[in-house]
Amino acid sequence: MGAALALVRASWLTARTYRVNLLLSLVYLPVLIVPVFYISRAVQSVAEDAIRTQGGQYFGFVLLGMITFSFVSAAVNGLPAALAGGVSTGTLEALLATPVRLPVLLAGLTGYNFVWTTIRALLMLGIGLALGARIEWARAPVAVAILALIVAAHVGFGVLGAAMTLAFRTAGPLGQAVIVASSLLGGVYWPTDARVIPDVIRGLSDFVPLTYGLRALRQTLLEGAGLAAIAPDVAKLTGIAMLLLGASALGFRAALRYARRAGTLAQY
Amino acid sequence: MSTAAAEPSTVAPAGTAGGRAPAAVELRGLTKRFPVRRGWGDVLRRPFHREHRVVVSDVTCDIRAGEFFGLLGPNGAGKTTLFKMLATLVIPDAGTATVAGLDVAREGSRVRRVLTPVIADERSLYWRLSARENLQLFARLHGFGGAVAECRVGEVLEAVSLHDTGTRLAGEFSSGMKQRLLIARALLARPSVLLLDEPTRSLDPISARTFRAFLREEVSRKQGCTVLLATHNAEEALELCDRVGVLDRGRLLAAGRADDLAARFGEERYRAWTRDPGHAAWTSLAARGLIQRPASAGIDADGWTRVEMEIPGRLERAAAVLQALGDAGVRVGRFERVGLSLADLIERIVQHHGAA
Repeated sequence: MGAALALVRASWLTARTYRVNLLLSLVYLPVLIVPVFYISRAVQSVAEDAIRTQGGQYFGFVLLGMITFSFVSAAVNGLPAALAGGVSTGTLEALLATPVRLPVLLAGLTGYNFVWTTIRALLMLGIGLALGARIEWARAPVAVAILALIVAAHVGFGVLGAAMTLAFRTAGPLGQAVIVASSLLGGVYWPTDARVIPDVIRGLSDFVPLTYGLRALRQTLLEGAGLAAIAPDVAKLTGIAMLLLGASALGFRAALRYARRAGTLAQY
Repeated sequence: MSTAAAEPSTVAPAGTAGGRAPAAVELRGLTKRFPVRRGWGDVLRRPFHREHRVVVSDVTCDIRAGEFFGLLGPNGAGKTTLFKMLATLVIPDAGTATVAGLDVAREGSRVRRVLTPVIADERSLYWRLSARENLQLFARLHGFGGAVAECRVGEVLEAVSLHDTGTRLAGEFSSGMKQRLLIARALLARPSVLLLDEPTRSLDPISARTFRAFLREEVSRKQGCTVLLATHNAEEALELCDRVGVLDRGRLLAAGRADDLAARFGEERYRAWTRDPGHAAWTSLAARGLIQRPASAGIDADGWTRVEMEIPGRLERAAAVLQALGDAGVRVGRFERVGLSLADLIERIVQHHGAA
């Protein structure tokens, strides 16, 4: 655990040397959320019916969607980017030459990304609350657990992307495909059961893990729904997470073995 | 190593009073092949065809605990791949390699606790972190915590003379300072086996000399670390290494004390300064087999021509050649045995094995 924290600390120490980037990524948040607030006000009456089972407030609906989506991006892109960075900067080989176990190393490499995403998410939430979003705080612990499950499911995609990066020096279109599918079909901006997009495409939402996670999260945090109401979605999400994590762990092991065998571990 | 090379590997390292220390590193038939990268056309024509290039071939060798072992060879000889296999970064295709009795292929994590490679690539440092922060990170990765880590970081910074610059960003360091930081990083874990791949290539001559003294005194003598050093630098190998091994095209051609190898492969080389390089006596001596491969090596400012040759046999034979030249009226102003450079030694060993 100490090793993972040391890597998170090193990432933070590195990130803080890029002061402008750090500052801009925070300044960007109100610039992002304030327009969403006004657009939400404009479409509230139209959207209200479609999101009645998920709190009925469109601003809160989108705010949670955006926050969750930032975690999804971190989970999908964080590890492949960290590995690609480690390969191109040359630090990966040095890290792999230490006795630290691989899962710990991967957690450390991607940990800062999640810490920073959490900080940004809390700021987004704070801005949202200041603008009038309403949250069922009593359900927050359950919501955090659902968020962790969403992250776990998408970390599976991230690990698969990392495996591709190790073996072929590119994560391929996997990450981008997951991000696009999640943002368009996962219910970030509109409910997946609403008739906003064509029926054929809407049917694909059932294959997107975020669909189940976001629905459960919104019902919990905006509607105050109990465990029984969200159980089917949580069960599906758990199954997807286990499947993806298992498959990605196997894929990563195979990729690492391939790279070690081919001698390409630290090659560009 | 081939059978021929196995013999010299039994030479005791200096400093062990001829005694036998246990093997820190054991290589048995270690082999590595890499797939040959093919062009698109070839891949399309023969999609299932596979070609491999042998990078390390059947290397067998023991390196004893506390020994300073130099690995010499031309570029592409397989030194770095051999090191990467020991560091568990590359999986061998055949044979075994053990470090302190641990198999590098099966017990990677445990091997990495006792063996540390100095990854000579400056890019492997975190350039946006200070030297101290770089070391703090790796101290934690090697399991040191809190005050112990701080203490160890201070020690290694001191050891590589970077204690005054510990707060500067690594990216602001000169190449030499980065090299020292890389070494400090490797020393953090107090490894029992240290792999050094051309460690002084970025250092100025004075820093390189200081660093070699540090390696010899601090790392090898005081810490008792087994060191494997890959180098092209003759001075470095001869100054530091108890034994050297010569690797060429993946094969370990010879291993032994550097002076023993020099004696075995190169003590017969002589140089004469003469006013009569075209005298028939040279041809006559060569025809009789007393000298071999005589060749002019240039003319000095005062008009003496340098002729280099090989004289098989001991000094008596050299004396006989000198006598014969004098008897023939060849004016020889100076006659000496030529010290063999490491490059020459490697070349000769490679040629010797090529001929064999």
